[in-house]
Amino acid sequence: MAAKKRDAIEYLPLTPAEFHFLLALTDGDKHAYAIMKDVARLTDGSVRLSAGTLYGLVRRFVNEGMIVEKTERPAAALDDERRRYYRLTDFGREVAVAEAERLEKLLALPRAQRLLARTRAV
Amino acid sequence: MESEQRSNRQDRIFRSLLRLFPFDFRSDYGRDMQHTFADQRRDAQRAGAPGVLRLWWETLRGIFTTAPREHWEMLRQDAGYALRMMRKNPGFTMVVVLTLALGIGANTAIFSVINGVLLRPLPYENGNDLVRLRQQAPKAGFDDVSFSVKEIQDYTQQNSTLAGLAEYHSMYFTFYGQGEAQRLQVGVVSANFFDVMGVKPVLGRLFLQGEDKVGAEPVLVLTYGYWKNVMGGDPQAVGKTFEMNDKVHTVIGVLPPLPDYPDANQMFMPSSSCPFRSSQRVVENRNGRMLTVFARRKSGVDNQKVGADLNVIASHLEAQYPDSYPKRDGYAMNVLPILQEMTGGARLTFLILLGTAGLVLLLTCANVANLTLSRQIRREQELAIRATLGASLARVLRQLMTESTILALVGGGLGLLVAAAGTSMLVRFAARFTPRTGDIGINSTVLLFTFGISVATGILFGAIPALASRQQLAAALSHGGGRNSGSLARHRMRNMLVTAQVAISFILLIGAGLMLRSVAKLQEVDPGFHPANVLSSTVSLSFTKYKPQEALAFYEKLLDTLSNRPGVVSAAVSMTVPLDGQMGSMDGQIQIQGRPVSEGTPAPRVDFRIVSPGYFKTMGIPLLRGRDFTSADRVESDMVAIINSSLAAHDFPNSDPIGQRVSADQGKQWATIVGVVGDVRQYGLNRAPTDELYVPMALSPMRGANVLIRTQGNPLLMNKEIAHEVHAIDPQQPVTRMLTLEQIRSEWLASPRLTAMLIAIFAGLALVITLAGISGVMALAVSQRTREIGIRMALGATRESVLRMVLWQGMVLVAIGLVIGFAGAPPLTRMMKDLLFGVQSTDPLTFLAVSLMVLAVAAGACFVPSRRAASVDPMVALRSE
Repeated sequence: MAAKKRDAIEYLPLTPAEFHFLLALTDGDKHAYAIMKDVARLTDGSVRLSAGTLYGLVRRFVNEGMIVEKTERPAAALDDERRRYYRLTDFGREVAVAEAERLEKLLALPRAQRLLARTRAV
Repeated sequence: MESEQRSNRQDRIFRSLLRLFPFDFRSDYGRDMQHTFADQRRDAQRAGAPGVLRLWWETLRGIFTTAPREHWEMLRQDAGYALRMMRKNPGFTMVVVLTLALGIGANTAIFSVINGVLLRPLPYENGNDLVRLRQQAPKAGFDDVSFSVKEIQDYTQQNSTLAGLAEYHSMYFTFYGQGEAQRLQVGVVSANFFDVMGVKPVLGRLFLQGEDKVGAEPVLVLTYGYWKNVMGGDPQAVGKTFEMNDKVHTVIGVLPPLPDYPDANQMFMPSSSCPFRSSQRVVENRNGRMLTVFARRKSGVDNQKVGADLNVIASHLEAQYPDSYPKRDGYAMNVLPILQEMTGGARLTFLILLGTAGLVLLLTCANVANLTLSRQIRREQELAIRATLGASLARVLRQLMTESTILALVGGGLGLLVAAAGTSMLVRFAARFTPRTGDIGINSTVLLFTFGISVATGILFGAIPALASRQQLAAALSHGGGRNSGSLARHRMRNMLVTAQVAISFILLIGAGLMLRSVAKLQEVDPGFHPANVLSSTVSLSFTKYKPQEALAFYEKLLDTLSNRPGVVSAAVSMTVPLDGQMGSMDGQIQIQGRPVSEGTPAPRVDFRIVSPGYFKTMGIPLLRGRDFTSADRVESDMVAIINSSLAAHDFPNSDPIGQRVSADQGKQWATIVGVVGDVRQYGLNRAPTDELYVPMALSPMRGANVLIRTQGNPLLMNKEIAHEVHAIDPQQPVTRMLTLEQIRSEWLASPRLTAMLIAIFAGLALVITLAGISGVMALAVSQRTREIGIRMALGATRESVLRMVLWQGMVLVAIGLVIGFAGAPPLTRMMKDLLFGVQSTDPLTFLAVSLMVLAVAAGACFVPSRRAASVDPMVALRSE
């Protein structure tokens, strides 16, 4: 029997921490600390993940099938044997894209545009 | 070096904080989190102290938000799984839930009583500061003497530790003006009574200063119960009037719901409205003692200080008024907290009931643990699958505990319904022991208690099988399962649980047996009179309508009419009725002529009873010597008295009391003893008779009395006749409280009988659960040993020997349980010795009878599985897996 297809929209809206976590994996596999640093960099420090929050997200995303732990290790020169590397799954990518589209629609609202225009004019 | 130490310390702290996460989470990610934190720490340290502080702020915030979420998520998964398991095994679920519902429900019910009666604060402002004052003359045998008006004035003026004193007494009055004439119990109080008690009205106002002075406008305060039940909660009640003692009394207010303490009054009036209390005779007489005194301690003062303060005043009074406080009596004051007064009689009974219910719950846990243990054998395949999916032993154990706790919570919820259904019955039961029944019910404290014991029950009956099965679970998880017919550890645990159940049941049955024997002994007690075919009716005459001689004429006319009615053997009037605490008795000291009371020796103390001629015949009290009173005994210059055999034995051991003279007023008047009658247990079947002195009604007319008639047939058929004859003399005179003496005796026995019945129900329930437990364990043992039994029979064992073997193994468990019960019962039953009558707490007959009963029924429970074992077909057994 085929498994029930999950809809990415069921997981929306994502919190900023969740969204940026997935976003950090879109450009390649990373270990958790690298994800943490990327999120801080991408958001200019406005979203900072602590160890507790980070691994809470890791566990949840692994259980939901949005990320998987990579079994293959990178090249020895780049590898840190203490680390576990995570990869974004297709489903995880779907969820990230769905959230990005949701945010885009939000910003595309006419009022929001006029508001943004006023801000820019100032 | 120092910075390295600081770094290590920070890492150690972080590692400790990780313990806040669930075990599985820590196993999976704990090491990674430590590495990540160490990296963050290094980065933060480069930014200096602000960076480190910021790191710790974010880390702690993250841990304290994520850890609870992880626990919650795990609990949610476990709970969902548990509910699915419950649905898949409806039979097991129902048995467990119902068993737990009974055990938890019983505890909730009893706790709701204890909470309402013993734990909740009094419904008075700062109720712990309220006390009742007691005068005592311990050397004369008086430990609770009423106060006179003069004494209350002295203590009020001279004390330094009380914020206020208030007087109280209760009387029955006849009220007219709101429908039919009503005879009501009324609290008669000083104007400051409700201020002292700390009570505010729900309607109108309460008494003001001065309203207890003679000449003040007559006013009334209604109790909440009367206002609600009789006046329908009329919002216009204030201003309504009642006529009493030829005066119009106006209702000024309604009290809030309060316990029926000190008495079950329906109204309150100020002392000025009571003609007896406000008479000069009572007000001026230091020895006219009829009042109870309540007081409020000053803030920060304890009972000891109050007692010391009042005893100083007592010693001054003793010196100032030696006639009123003879030195030989040892006059002293005592202080009793009101909470203790209200609940003291109930405390032991309720705590024993709670202990009994607690033992039943423990037994229920043992039974359910056994059921769960048996079921776990069948779940090993399921556990193997879970191991494949990554579950650890800790996770599985946590899952099992969650399942058991959810079962217990469901059982607890059902138990609440059981307890709620029994609330009104419990309130009626509790009312026999205490006036504080208004707060009994299912409230937030009781809900919290139920939740707490449900969780504790779930953990207990979940932990026992989980711990016993740890090895098996670990093996199933690591090897992926396979058939396991049970280990030694599990087998031992099951046997221990059965043994524990037998021991607990035995203890409960002993308690029930002792109580039942106690009640049986009480029922055998000769009360000193013959209660069959005697009807008692209370006919209390109005103080203002009937002067003493008019009251005497009323009763004499009534008796004359009743005695001549067909079906009436005899009739009499008495101030009190034995075993019926409705009318207070009078007690005091007497002098015997020719025997002056010496210094240091207390005078004889007696209970006075005022009766009409024919009383002893009507009551069936034997006349042992001399004669009864006659209608001629009405001359004050020739007073007579009758004493009981107890008084005769104490004070006339070597002489004939007939013809001797006694005085109750220090020699002013003397009465000649004309008869000696048998002893009567006035105050209770479990209380020894007191010394009694009977006085003829004609010489001491009373206005509150009970009319007694002995009939040939059923006395209740005469109740209309009595009312008819009373109304023939006075159409407005109420006749109340018509009860046969059998009913009064039965009512007295009701409290110990109900307590015994409750304990017996618990014990019976415990026995049934235990028998089910024994039967279940034996059946499981037989099914697991089918192959072995088959082999034995194939090798020549007879069916009888197999039956004996299995039966013996079951009975060994029962015997061990009995031995443990034997050892455990005496210290527990000793706690209930104050509830027992005529039987020791270690009564050998009870212990023997209960042991034999348990052995017999246990043998019956073991017999069925033993017979099944004996009927095993060896060929089928040898082929079975």
